[in-house]
Formats: sequence, structure tokens, C-alpha cells
Amino acid sequence: MKLQAAHLPGVDLKAVQWHTLTFGEGAQRVEVSVPKLAPEQLQALARHVRTQGGAQIRALPVSQIITAIDRAIARLLDTQDPYRQQLDRLLPPITGFDAEMVRLGLNAYLKTFRAPQLQRFVAEDFANPKLLDEFQPRAKGGMARALGPELLVHVWAGNVPGLPLWSLVCGLLVKAPAVGKVASAEPLFAALFARLLAEVEPRLADALAIVWFKGGDTASEGALYAEADTVLAYGGNETLAALQQQLPVTTRFLPHGHKLSVGLVSAAALDAQHLPVVARAAALDVVRYEQQGCYSPHTYYVARGGRVSPREFAQSLAGELAALQHKFARRALSLEEAASVAVWRQVQELKGQDGSVELIGDAGAPWAVAYADRAGPLLPCALNRTVQVQAVGALDETLPLLAVQRDFLQTVGVAASPEELHALAEGLGRAGATRICALGQMTAPEAGWHHDGRFSLLDLVRMVELEASAEAAAEPYARYRD
Amino acid sequence: MPGTERKDVVAEVLHPSLQQAAGLVPDLLAFIARDDAGEADFNVLALRLFAHQFQHNAAFQKFCQQRGRTPRTVKRWQDIPAVPINGFKDLTLSCVPTEQCERVFMTSGTTRGDVKGRHWHPELAVYDLSMTRNFRARFMAGRERIRMGILFPDEQLMPNSSLAHYLALALHNFDLPDSRYYLDSAGLQLDVLCATLEQVQKSGEPFALLGASYSFVHLMDALQARGLRFTLPKGSRLLDTGGFKGQSREMEMDAFYDSLSATFGVPRSACINMYGMTELSTQFYDAGNAELPALKSGPHWIRSRVVDPLTGQEMPAGERGILAHTDLGNFNSVTTILTEDVGVAVDSGFLLLGRAQGAQAKGCSLAVDEFLKAARA
Repeated sequence: MKLQAAHLPGVDLKAVQWHTLTFGEGAQRVEVSVPKLAPEQLQALARHVRTQGGAQIRALPVSQIITAIDRAIARLLDTQDPYRQQLDRLLPPITGFDAEMVRLGLNAYLKTFRAPQLQRFVAEDFANPKLLDEFQPRAKGGMARALGPELLVHVWAGNVPGLPLWSLVCGLLVKAPAVGKVASAEPLFAALFARLLAEVEPRLADALAIVWFKGGDTASEGALYAEADTVLAYGGNETLAALQQQLPVTTRFLPHGHKLSVGLVSAAALDAQHLPVVARAAALDVVRYEQQGCYSPHTYYVARGGRVSPREFAQSLAGELAALQHKFARRALSLEEAASVAVWRQVQELKGQDGSVELIGDAGAPWAVAYADRAGPLLPCALNRTVQVQAVGALDETLPLLAVQRDFLQTVGVAASPEELHALAEGLGRAGATRICALGQMTAPEAGWHHDGRFSLLDLVRMVELEASAEAAAEPYARYRD
Repeated sequence: MPGTERKDVVAEVLHPSLQQAAGLVPDLLAFIARDDAGEADFNVLALRLFAHQFQHNAAFQKFCQQRGRTPRTVKRWQDIPAVPINGFKDLTLSCVPTEQCERVFMTSGTTRGDVKGRHWHPELAVYDLSMTRNFRARFMAGRERIRMGILFPDEQLMPNSSLAHYLALALHNFDLPDSRYYLDSAGLQLDVLCATLEQVQKSGEPFALLGASYSFVHLMDALQARGLRFTLPKGSRLLDTGGFKGQSREMEMDAFYDSLSATFGVPRSACINMYGMTELSTQFYDAGNAELPALKSGPHWIRSRVVDPLTGQEMPAGERGILAHTDLGNFNSVTTILTEDVGVAVDSGFLLLGRAQGAQAKGCSLAVDEFLKAARA
């Protein structure tokens, strides 16, 4: 029987039609069934989750929700667990990513969702997490309470396996019953997690539903979005704009559009001792998830003046990319991806006719580094292990080059001295960056990071304030008044 | 008589700046004027053009040397290095000094921001003969002339548009009285066009409407808003080209031809799509779009291959790849170009499957166009 990627609490499964998504070829071929719900079925499901699921999740204190997530995550971190084994077996053929890369990536990622990290996650946005459970007194007088959405809808992209976990957990932490729509490119992870959560905590069984429909299916979209008061979506700006058009103005819309990330290497990091470590870290950030993530680097700006030149850094990076191919093989490229890489290579080669760009790595190599002696504005590369290295005099020269992408800039990986790092941080922030991290950590954000600079939990809730005036005004009506 | 026509053309093209190519252009015109040519003759002329371009075009020579290809080592037209269409943006691909060129056609520049590809033509005799011979064979359906309506600006308005020149050639060589343009700097002349279509409908004389695919979308939207449909007389034909390029709403091709057929009363088999590129001097046509994707093919002076974009190796028959064309009409630039179009080779032509949407964004990672827009702003 084909694996069914869905979680449909309260739905009569006999009445559900299924659609088959096929991934990979030959022995790697995998088929996954996704539900084809009619708009009425979607609407009924959304209402069930909002009422039954909402009642369930609101009845639990945040601490118990954290315990439930922690138990599910512990299961996923256990290599003997059947859920984890399914992920290890199926995610590589579904995404095309190297199996070992997926396994290591998942471990690093899942660890950021254990109970202590989740508590920190809540504390990051709520000085007093009990605001999520009940009205709390405020220092200035009165009381306040944070309420999550009545129904949260997630719209996920399929670029990085496990991505849905971020917004799923955010929703759970603010007690939002939720319906998540998976992408055709990776429908599995969210469905397995929802099923597992229902298994470890049956009191949350109706609080999550995982569905699928084709992007652009306006009948299904309309039926689902009409039931939501908050919609959180990942995708390109055009997709997001089209989605927003379908939402009533009163629906809260939290878009995560395309992003672009970059690495900076200071002269301080460029000597014979540090070079191998820095180049390896930079290569790993390129290799992980084949640059499909918003946090993946497209360009490294490298300062002159170190014992090792920017060009030598580019060559070391190329060497590390070649070496990493043996450990984590690049996935097979589709014709479109190959064409994209080919066009990028052509542009670099043509630029190179006057000697300004040097393309390292021949057409058959599963990676390529384009080294330029003069830096230009930040532009995307062609993904799939293509990366630009550009020389600058000093790292602060990059600020105007990054600022052209202010609306898209996200993560900046930095290898620099403490003085440089802190001096740069302000300028990087003003150029649009929302996250500054170590090289080698670009694809592994810390627990509780502010995704795209937003408050992951605060953005989801609405504060209810019970003002001191109401308390004072109630006193005269007390039974015990004098 | 094709023979006399050729002589006039030959006399005209022996411009002083072309002396280096003397002999080549007349031979080329004669080759185009033939009824057909086999692989061997094509190969001979292709290699002559390659040697000429290698010698006189420094940028191309460097490009070939980087790939270890020279006239000494290249023995088959398939081995001539294919220049990616980006090369027309970054390099000056002309054997003749560009200031001596009669015309330069430019790409619309949709993929790499403001950077436009430039295709230099010392003179247009070869281009014009290539266009007219091929157009007669593939669009005119046995007629000498037909009344035409053009849904595109004229050459005065768009002197650097190869499509404007192409349509001007169609109009000047194959028109009947009352043919005209229906698009000017003020846009689509809808009222005039509607009057024409009504009159044509009554007259019973066949009519040809030609233009950019997106112009047809705008026209059909405008006609629908007025609740208008026409049944053009038997023998009428439509020619669309170029796709939508973000100039109009995107339509599924099936819906597009259904809609064309329904709006103008022309069967889909008489709706011809022309596939042309600024970087070429020769066009491809299908024989109507009753079924999609329609088989595209070109005349005997252009040959196409379907290749792997990264290695340049030809794909096995039936597998998708990127189209590379060797166009002998490109005597001054480069004969062989690597497109960004996806195709499949089939007997006697290829199926065009659209543009390789290369870095197609799946998630939060990237959409190249968005970034390019930002970088330009």
C-alpha cells in the first residue's frame, strides 16, 4: 500500500479520493498518496479542527503542549523509531538530497525542538509565558492574556525537508488549531509529524490537519482560507501576492517570501592555519540542501590583505566542494536545473573573456566557483553548488553591495575578528540582514530565531487587555461592597 | 523567377565592407534559393562560414579556443561551438565592424535586466531572402498574396526589433490592397480593426492576422469585453509568435488556440505559430496547432539539435534537452547558437516545450527575476 501523506481528523476516509505523487526513478522510485478533498470536505475539516481541535488545544497549558512536542521530537530523534525510519527512507528519494545529508540535517534541526529549546522559544517572545494560559496581572495595573488564532492555515513550500516544523510548532505553542497545506515537492514530513503528535498526545489529535491541493486550485484555496483567521505562507512573492488577494482584509497574513543569503570572510580569517576550517565551513553551507534554503549562501565576499588571497580562498572552497561530493553527492538535476546552472556558467565564462571572472570547475563537475577580482552587487547564483567568490578591500565595502537586495537579504555568515563582527553588525542590519551567524551554521538557525526578523509567536497572537479601569469599576458591584 | 530575383540581390550585397565575405554571401543566397540541400552540402557551407567567423570575429575566436575548437579540428557542423544566447549580450559577435552594419536587432531583454542581446547585420539581403522564401512556403499556403492585418508596431516605431522587420517583409512582399498595421504608439486601434474584421467577414475574401502572441491575448480580451466574435472567410490564417513574455496574462497554449479559433472563426489547423529569435536569421514554423505541441521545422539552411545544457552532448532521440540551432543565414554573427528553450527531437523537426524555467523557485529560496528587479532599482 502506498504511503498516505495526510492527517484528516474527523473526515470520513472512505469518502476521500487520493492523488499519487511520484518521486525518483528506478529502485529509488517512491509513490506517495495525497488527499484530493472537495471544497466542501476541506471546509468541514477546517471547521472540525477549529471547534474540536481548538477546544482540545486550548484546554492544555503551554507546558503540556511543550511536553507533547518534546515527546514527538524524541521519537523522531530515535533512529529505531518507525516514524524516523520512514523519514530516513523516504525523504532522500522524495527530495533527491543525499541520504546522509538529510539524516545529519534532520538531527541538527530536530535538536532545536527539544523541551528546553521550546521553553526558550516561548521565553524569547513572552517575558511571562503564562500569558498564553490565562490572564496575568500587569505591572501597570489590569490584566492581559495572549490568545492564538481560532484557526491557523499554513501553506508550505517543499524546498527543504522538515521546513513545515517551524511554523507548525509556532502554531502549537500559541494553541492555534491548524490546517497545513503541504507542497507537492515534499508532502511527507508534516503529515508524519501530525500523526505522531496525535499518537503521543491524543488530546491533540484533532488540533492539526494536513492536506494537499495543487497551487492555483482557487476553489480549494477559497474554501480553506475562508475558515482561517490567520494564514502563514512560504513561497515566491508572486505566489504570496496571489494568495493575499484571496484573503479577506480581516485575515492576518504572515508571508515568508524569497530570501537571499551571503557569506563574508575577513582578512583575519585568511591565513594558512584558519583557511582549511573556514573553506570547509563555507563549502558545507553551500552543499547543505543544495542551496535551496532561504539561509543558503549565494556569494562569498572575501577581504584582501590576509596572508591568503581571496583567489586562494576561492580555490580552497572549490577543493572542499570537490571533496564534499564524495561525502554528500549532489542530487541529480532536472533539465531545468541543469539549464539554469549552464546559463549561469555561460554568463560567468563570457564575463571571463576579459579576465574579470575566473570559473573554477569544469562543465562536468557537480559544483562551480566563479571568482571575481572586483566585487559587484549581490546577485543570486544558480543553486545546486554554484557559488560566487568576490574580492573586496574590506568587509564594510560590502554594505552597499548587499543593500541592493535589502528586501531579500536574510542570513549573513561571517568569519571575522570580534571587533570586525560587532562593527559590521549594525551596517548589515541596515542593509537588510535579519540574521548574522558563523560560517558553517548558515543552514542551521538557532532555536527561537526570529525568522525573517519577525516575532514568530507574537505575530500569531492577539493580546486581550483587561484594564485597571474595568477592575476598579467592578468593585462597587461586588457582593462584599461596604 | 527565383533566378532573376537572386541576381538583383547579389548585386546589391557586394558592399565594400563585405569584401572579406565576398563569395560567401552570393553562395549563401544561391544555397537558400535552392529547393533543398542534403547534409553534405549543408556541412560544406557551415564549415566555410565557421572558418570565416573564426577568422574575422575576435570574440568568437576566443570563445572557440577556450573550447579547443578551431577550423582545423572542426569537421562536422555539429562540432561548431554553440554560442549561448547570453553571448549576444556580453560579446560583440560581428565579423564586420559594427559601425558598418546596416541594422542591429536587439532582444527585448526580459531575462537579464536591461542587458540586451545585439545581432549585427551588415545588410539584410540574406535575412530577407531567408524570411521570404520560408514564409511563402510555410504560411502562404499556395497563395501569392493575401490581405493582412499586423498586430505589432511598424519598423519606424521599433527599428531594432527583428519581429517588426519580419512583419514588414511579410506585408511588403505578400500583401493585397488594404493591408495595414493595427498597432501604433497609441496602442491597439480596436475600432478600426473591428470595422475591418466585419467588412472582411462580409467580403468572403481570406484575411491573415499576424502578430505577437501577447497582442492576440490583448485583442481577444478587448473583443470579449465588447461581446464580439468573428467568422473570418475560408482560407483565412493567423500567425502568432513569441509567447506572452509577461506582456499579457499567461494562457495555457491549448486554451490560447481554442480561444483564437473561437474568436476569429479560424480552425486551429490554420493558426500557425512562428518560432523565431533575434539571434537567428531564419524562422521555424508549425503546420497549424490542431494538436499540441505542434511539430516545428525550418528550411534546408537551418538545422537543429537537442542537447544536454551542461555537456553540450546530443540527447538520445525522444529525450528532453535544450535546443541548439545552426543557421547558415547567420553569416556575420555565429552560425550556431545555444538557446534556453526546451525541446524534443522528432523525425523532421522538433517539439518546442517552452523556456527552461531554470532556477524555478520551489520555496523561500529564490526567483532570479525578483532579485534582478531589485538590483536594477
